[in-house]
Amino acid sequence: MPEKKPLARSQPTNNLSRKFKVWVHHQQQAIDFSLKRLWFNPISAWITLIAIALALSLPTSMHVLVKNLQSLTHNNQSVPTISLFLKPKVTEQQANDLAELVKSQPEVLSTIVVTRDQALQDFKKIAGLADTLKTLGENPLPNIVVITPKMSDLGVTDADLQDFTKRLKTYKEVEDVQIDIEWIQRLRAILQIAERIVAVVAALLATTVLLVVGNTIRLDIENRKDEIRVTRLIGATNRYIRRPFLYGGLWLGLFGGFLSLLVVNIALLFLVDPVNKLSMLYGSDFNLGGIDLTTTLEVLAISASLGLIGAWLAVNRYLWESEIIND
Amino acid sequence: MTTKTIIEFRQVHKRYPTGQLALYNVNLTIRAGEMLFITGNSGAGKSTLLKLIALLENPSKGDVLIDGTPLSYLQARQIPNYRRRIGFIFQDPHLLYDRNVFDNVAMPLLISGMPPTDINRRVNAALDKVGLGKKTKSYPLMLSAGERQRVGIARAVVNRPTMILADEPTGNLDPELAQDIMHTFAQFNDIGVTVLIASHDHGLVERMQKRIIVLQRVEL
Ligand SMILES: Nc1ncnc2c1ncn2[C@@H]1O[C@H](COP(=O)(O)OP(=O)(O)OP(=O)(O)O)[C@@H](O)[C@H]1O
Ligand SMILES: [Mg+2]
Repeated sequence: MPEKKPLARSQPTNNLSRKFKVWVHHQQQAIDFSLKRLWFNPISAWITLIAIALALSLPTSMHVLVKNLQSLTHNNQSVPTISLFLKPKVTEQQANDLAELVKSQPEVLSTIVVTRDQALQDFKKIAGLADTLKTLGENPLPNIVVITPKMSDLGVTDADLQDFTKRLKTYKEVEDVQIDIEWIQRLRAILQIAERIVAVVAALLATTVLLVVGNTIRLDIENRKDEIRVTRLIGATNRYIRRPFLYGGLWLGLFGGFLSLLVVNIALLFLVDPVNKLSMLYGSDFNLGGIDLTTTLEVLAISASLGLIGAWLAVNRYLWESEIIND
Repeated sequence: MTTKTIIEFRQVHKRYPTGQLALYNVNLTIRAGEMLFITGNSGAGKSTLLKLIALLENPSKGDVLIDGTPLSYLQARQIPNYRRRIGFIFQDPHLLYDRNVFDNVAMPLLISGMPPTDINRRVNAALDKVGLGKKTKSYPLMLSAGERQRVGIARAVVNRPTMILADEPTGNLDPELAQDIMHTFAQFNDIGVTVLIASHDHGLVERMQKRIIVLQRVEL
């Protein structure tokens, strides 16, 4: 057996800074090259980018929609309330005591007492009612305790809600409980399903993005087979050959993500005005929220990763095949 | 002579998948720093012999040893690094037609991750050496066959290989230019580079006064 010697030029493995410099040069080259490829193939690049953007826009906008609707069910919204109508004999002082007591319940965020006098004043402000009220003589209105519940501690089923109201009815001062929050409960339940649907749609369209990027990169490889062969002949490693394609996929994903955020934001701009008008009509302080920073970064990170993975799959498939053929 | 052996062929046979036998029982020893010519008729197996050294083909039988180690011992991931030791000049230069002369020649340096300023210097020096200093911005299709061949030569030597394998490097050149290029190879040889040249051109080969190996076509 012949003595084993290093056939490959021994590289100074201890020289880390040199290795790092080489690494940096390789990255720069690949970034430079892949961006140029995009720039000089505008048609195929744009088609791919638009396909990615459209595929990503659907789950992103659905996600934004669900998030907005969820914000309706949050604690800080003044809309959902439970009103306790107290018996006529109950005094203002007793009403205040009851409000304190109810507030100590875990499901309750805050309580306010609306005295019968206040209620009367409010009613008088409503045009036409003032005269009607005069004919009644005595104030017919009861004292009211208005409860803002903690939606998060209330559970999502109707049974949970009924449980809570039953408990409220056991107070001897309470004559009737009126709930304004059933629709919120239902909405929460629906949104839980909607979230699942968004997840499924997102998974399907993520696969689409993967395929679109993979196919674009595959075509790019096809066009550059000669180049790959030649660079291999003069000593390029698989890693070297792979690198510009990986960056190519990364850019497609990243820029496609940007584009989809642009699309969704523009769509939201169209919606903001009418939605805000609508919510004002209903006396809600609901505002249509845009895409926040976290979501923006999430979309970009996901789309960039999808691009990278798509490219990775395409290149590896090619390298694996070409190694078997071994031209 | 004490110079060590760099390339050794031991009973090398090469049969292509088509059934064509290209090399039959080749035994050959080449010393480090040697310059040597391989001649023989068309189809005698000159290109095949060079390709076996650069691992562009594998022998069907026998071993090619480099520095005493059979190439078959090399693992796939070691091959790129080994190829960077070699400057290979292809019979057909295999240039990239969407890149200009400079970028074509710069490729081996880019692959080894050299900083751009060094690349500039090296590439320009290599192109000057083959007389193409003024054509750096041209694209291969704008060049004559001889010029393309010289781009291929510049690309092969730019990375300062320890071994130059040249397959008909002067095939498309006029006698004067051919002589110049041979001279360039001889200069590399003077600084210790092992040079193997496959060539038809008997006159030129004989004038260089180096060892000559004649391959005979395998007739079956
Ligand atoms: N890839 C291949 N597949 C099948 N047969 C091949 C292949 N390459 C070469 N051959 C055959 O092997 C033999 C030797 O070919 P090779 O190219 O080594 O000859 P050569 O001496 O370089 O010829 P030339 O002087 O014409 O370049 C020829 O008969 C040729 O037909
Ligand atoms: Mg040949």
